[in-house]
Amino acid sequence: MTGLAAMADVAGLLEVVGQPFMQRALLGGLLTGALGGLLGSFAVLRQLSFFSDALGHSALLGISLGILLGINPTLVLIPFAVLFALLVNQLVARSGLPADALLNIVYSTSLAFAVVALSLVETYRGGIQQLLFGDILGISWSDLTVIAVLLMGALIYLALSLRAQVLLTLNSDLAGAFGVGASRHRLAFIVLLAVVVAVSIKAVGVLLISAFVVIPACGGRLVSRHFPLYALISACLGGGCALLGLLGSGLTNLPSGPCVVIVQFAGFLLALLVSKTTRCSPAGVCLHSGRQP
Amino acid sequence: MTDNPPVLLVEGLSVRRGEQLAVEQVSFQLARETDTALVGPNGAGKSSLVGAVLGLLPRASGTVQILGHALGPAGELPRAVRAQIAYLPQSLALQGRFPLTVGEFVGFGFDPPGLSLAWLGCRRRSEAVQFALKRTGCQDLAQRRLSELSGGQLKRVLLAFCVVRPRQLLVLDEAQAGLDAPSSEQFQELLLELRRQEGWTVLQVSHDLEMVRRSCDLVLCLNRRLRCSGAPDHALSAARLAELYGPNVVPYRHQHDGVGGHG
Repeated sequence: MTGLAAMADVAGLLEVVGQPFMQRALLGGLLTGALGGLLGSFAVLRQLSFFSDALGHSALLGISLGILLGINPTLVLIPFAVLFALLVNQLVARSGLPADALLNIVYSTSLAFAVVALSLVETYRGGIQQLLFGDILGISWSDLTVIAVLLMGALIYLALSLRAQVLLTLNSDLAGAFGVGASRHRLAFIVLLAVVVAVSIKAVGVLLISAFVVIPACGGRLVSRHFPLYALISACLGGGCALLGLLGSGLTNLPSGPCVVIVQFAGFLLALLVSKTTRCSPAGVCLHSGRQP
Repeated sequence: MTDNPPVLLVEGLSVRRGEQLAVEQVSFQLARETDTALVGPNGAGKSSLVGAVLGLLPRASGTVQILGHALGPAGELPRAVRAQIAYLPQSLALQGRFPLTVGEFVGFGFDPPGLSLAWLGCRRRSEAVQFALKRTGCQDLAQRRLSELSGGQLKRVLLAFCVVRPRQLLVLDEAQAGLDAPSSEQFQELLLELRRQEGWTVLQVSHDLEMVRRSCDLVLCLNRRLRCSGAPDHALSAARLAELYGPNVVPYRHQHDGVGGHG
């Protein structure tokens, strides 16, 4: 009986996968996950993971303002996120307060304003649930195009500026002395992160967006010692886990966004296990071993 | 401009940090292939001066010329001149498991400033990295993560980062901070050797007056203003040290080599 039930589930999954909305969702998950992993690999090293969380929460305020003003929230979201990121960046740079405390103030306040703004709207067609946890099944071809273009743009920019990004992460004075336009690259990365967060919100949701940025990057960091490989593994982990999570969601009929994050967490645990059981030779070749490197 | 301009020419430089002037009306120049130490108490403005010279901090007034080229208001320099400058900071922001190997890092020292895919590598780059690692005794560290290195190893790798392509001016901001005495000694010996081989002009911020007395050609004593300058024996005399650091600083000589220092 159990075998029959499983076969029925797989048959049901195949049927769902055959649906255009699910194909769009899978592609969207793959692209969004890869984008989050790629940007996350730099954001985590720059200690900007909390910044992406604050951006995600502020996105809810952007959406709320769009609804209140009667403008399509998607159109409001990107400029709002960029403006918000630039303002917060200035605030962190000029206030002299610890960044984590300041970001906490910013994101909890923007969340409070967003909830108040939403309470002023009698009914919101999209539903608060979809804002919080995303609606990847509702992703359109135009959304996919935007995400794909963004992924390509991010890939090209980060590949061309890899030296600058790494030196900036290590020491901004070192970067500046060796000819890196530190403030220009720092600003460009923050804007890119804001745009990625804003574009991914529809698929991932306000509450889960930081998981897309942070978890694959931390997993990638555990298993790679070469920087380009680290960024690649983080992007693959992000995309692969999103794909598996969506398939799992289709199989179990559970919410898609949380399923993806749970699979990402499983991927992180796997990376942790791999990092504990591999030993790397001086030549960088990693072998299975019972000892920690 | 003369045919052979100084590597670094600073005139009337003032640097503001917040409301106050951290550096005020400082002028000096560095001749080719000389080693100059910048000394002074904490808060004297040494790092601010270095930051302004490298174009990392804005200048309140004054001019800076590097290899005969004026530093722009926002630190602009022709790319070819910028490529002649190397800088060693006190430390790097290396968190655990930082995914960057020594070889990759030194390779970034070889790559030109600006957007490029040079990190993908070529034979010339790979050979330059290997040679730089060999010269600094780091060839066995090439595949190690930067975050796995000891303090002394990291400083040698930073020197490899500087020596991986020819440069003329090397600026060190308390590069020996955090090193124990033997590591500091080894670092200084390696620096001296590379300086001679490469013909570097060196400007180094240091608190190690014994090392300064032994290794440097010129000393600049800074406490917001330039208090004195000259050869080590002149600039680091007891009277000048007392003037710079206060009367409680007593110069002493180490028994093992009889070279002066301060306590």
